[in-house]
Amino acid sequence: MKGVSVRRLLASLIVPALFLTACSSTDSDSGTDASAAACAPSSAGPVTLTYTSWIPGIEDVVKVWNAKNPNIQVKVQTGPNGNGGTYQNFFNQLKAGNAPDLGQIEYDALPSFRVQDGLVDVGACDNVAKAKDQFIPWTWNQVSFGDAKGAWGVPQDAGPMALFYRADLFEKNGIAIPTTWDEYAAAAEKVRAAGGYITNFSQSDINQFAGLTWQAGGRWFANDGQNWTVNLTDDKTKKVADYWQNLISKKLVSTVPPWTTEWDNAYNSSSAWTWVSAVWGANSIASGAPKTAGKWRVAPMPQWSAGEKSAGNWGGSSTAVFKGSKHPYEAAQFALWLNTDQEALTLLNEKANLYPATTAGTTLPALSKGVAFYGDQKIYEVFAQASTEVAPDFTWGPTMTATYANASDGFKAAVSGKGSLTEALTAAQASTIQTLKSQAIPVKE
Amino acid sequence: MKNRAVPIFVVPFGALFIAFYLVPIGYAIVQSLYKVERSGTFGPVREVFGGLDQYQRVFQDGPFWASLGRVAAFGVVQVPVMLGVALILALLLDSGLVKGRRFFRLAFFVPYAIPGVIAAIMWGFLYSPNLSPLKPVTGAIDFLSADLVLWSMANVVTWVYVGYNMLIIYSALLAVPTEVYEAARMDGAGQFRIAWSIKIPLVLPAIVLTTVFSIIGTLQLLAEPQVFRSFSSAVTSTYTPNLTVYSTSSIPNFNLAAAFSVVLALTTFVLSFAFLRATQRRSAEQ
Repeated sequence: MKGVSVRRLLASLIVPALFLTACSSTDSDSGTDASAAACAPSSAGPVTLTYTSWIPGIEDVVKVWNAKNPNIQVKVQTGPNGNGGTYQNFFNQLKAGNAPDLGQIEYDALPSFRVQDGLVDVGACDNVAKAKDQFIPWTWNQVSFGDAKGAWGVPQDAGPMALFYRADLFEKNGIAIPTTWDEYAAAAEKVRAAGGYITNFSQSDINQFAGLTWQAGGRWFANDGQNWTVNLTDDKTKKVADYWQNLISKKLVSTVPPWTTEWDNAYNSSSAWTWVSAVWGANSIASGAPKTAGKWRVAPMPQWSAGEKSAGNWGGSSTAVFKGSKHPYEAAQFALWLNTDQEALTLLNEKANLYPATTAGTTLPALSKGVAFYGDQKIYEVFAQASTEVAPDFTWGPTMTATYANASDGFKAAVSGKGSLTEALTAAQASTIQTLKSQAIPVKE
Repeated sequence: MKNRAVPIFVVPFGALFIAFYLVPIGYAIVQSLYKVERSGTFGPVREVFGGLDQYQRVFQDGPFWASLGRVAAFGVVQVPVMLGVALILALLLDSGLVKGRRFFRLAFFVPYAIPGVIAAIMWGFLYSPNLSPLKPVTGAIDFLSADLVLWSMANVVTWVYVGYNMLIIYSALLAVPTEVYEAARMDGAGQFRIAWSIKIPLVLPAIVLTTVFSIIGTLQLLAEPQVFRSFSSAVTSTYTPNLTVYSTSSIPNFNLAAAFSVVLALTTFVLSFAFLRATQRRSAEQ
């Protein structure tokens, strides 16, 4: 009796296993040959595309396209932000072969999707390569990976960084607005003496730290076509890490976990006085700290040496076409419209405060108005300037999800007094290389 | 006739069991035996048979084994505490000492009706040093620190599942024939004596069952640490075995994540059965 049931059990385990083996081996071949095909319009009449994004109000922007293009209808699906779950859905959908035609992917995640062979090179599609000059150079570099003809997505928005600060508190306490990082550290002491914190150091926004490193000249990844190089601990990065470690050790910055109610409270209750953040951060403060309306202003990012003009970038997305899309040509046309058409860009800015990745977009009328929350300051002018000061040569690695998680684990320890930011980056360096190797991604050590 | 009826009853169960249990397990096992190969930095991806390569990585993965140790410590403390409280509550309800038995039976069970994620978020606010309504307490003791956060989560899990386990034990108590109690009372046994010598031994199978469920639940901890990750600096991306699986699959490294899952499933299987074996042997000896 026992023997029979065990045999049956084994059989039921093995039969589906064999069946699936057969499936997955055919699966893995299909991805490779599609990339060579040129991008041509689908012969059939009207097509319907699916597009997944987490931009608030994206439905209204797509409605405008659908009204103008009866033959290319776009259906929007919305989800949580990329690292909040949508990327995982994309990867799962790609694995299962039912990814949407188009998806929103931030620049730092594009290499991960390309490494997994999930993206269509739309550079071959009509008008896409021609559009190159319309974009801010570094954003195009992010989608072209330095390839002269390739484009694995169309840049959507950028996140040039600047210094958000509480003008009222700085003025009341007679503290000058810092223009260099040295001045910022000196101001931190004074702010602490006045009972506040100059800022809240984020233990899990590693992409913000990357933006700070980007400004300082640190470069975390390089890719020579043969191998990846990982360098989370170059001198420039160490300089930034030591700088913030010093502020953490002296307890001059608060360290509440970011994007929590506690964090909103730190800003809303005037405990944190500045935030070095991207253009979209303007919205985060306005919604998270409503009690401080009218008291914030924006200044350029502090510099490493006086007189320099350099800015970092935090965030920014592209619109990419996924492997397996039956209509890459039509998808590329929609992506191009969405991210270059002035009407679309105006709507995107209105709905979601997106800051365009095109040079023409940065002069949108909407971006030259004063913003009430910032005392009617024309804050976008600061970001327009910053956007020209972002170095164009920052490369993201192919497994950023893992790199972020590893670095964040170490940063969390560092803000709890266990280890330092530099140690965290050293550990993240080792585990990133480990992650690359476990995926057979070639890496130079 | 009889034989023809059997498939009618077995097929629906069997089909679902195969589709939603055996096939996914089989698929995970198959996935775990594969690895990817590629050429160049953005070269095409090929999945090839990799034998036990992924398992080798699993066994070399320090954080994964550390996380198993962590949930083991969690289980050793939290499961007995939770089941102890559940047992006491069940005995109190059954003793007739409590008025409003129906009300309490429902009241204890209410936390189980709250989704685990919501419960974790709610407790996260209660633990918060600045936003908690119990600020004098949370200001003095940091429940979200590296030393305490595991036990803060244990408290959440206990809060959610005590009522559920109590209900299982309580229904076992209701099934005990009243003659047994009458006989005990005739022999002069008090409430405590009845509870200790009659009720507990008779509901032991229910306690064993809830223990097995709890062991499985502990090894599968995901929702609470996932939620607490955003509140606490002490919860890492590899805090529990299931978080490791989740983090690995979001890289995405499906093959390695599958190998982690298979090892975790085997560990769960071995521990649950070892516990069942141990308790069955003991009851056989008695």
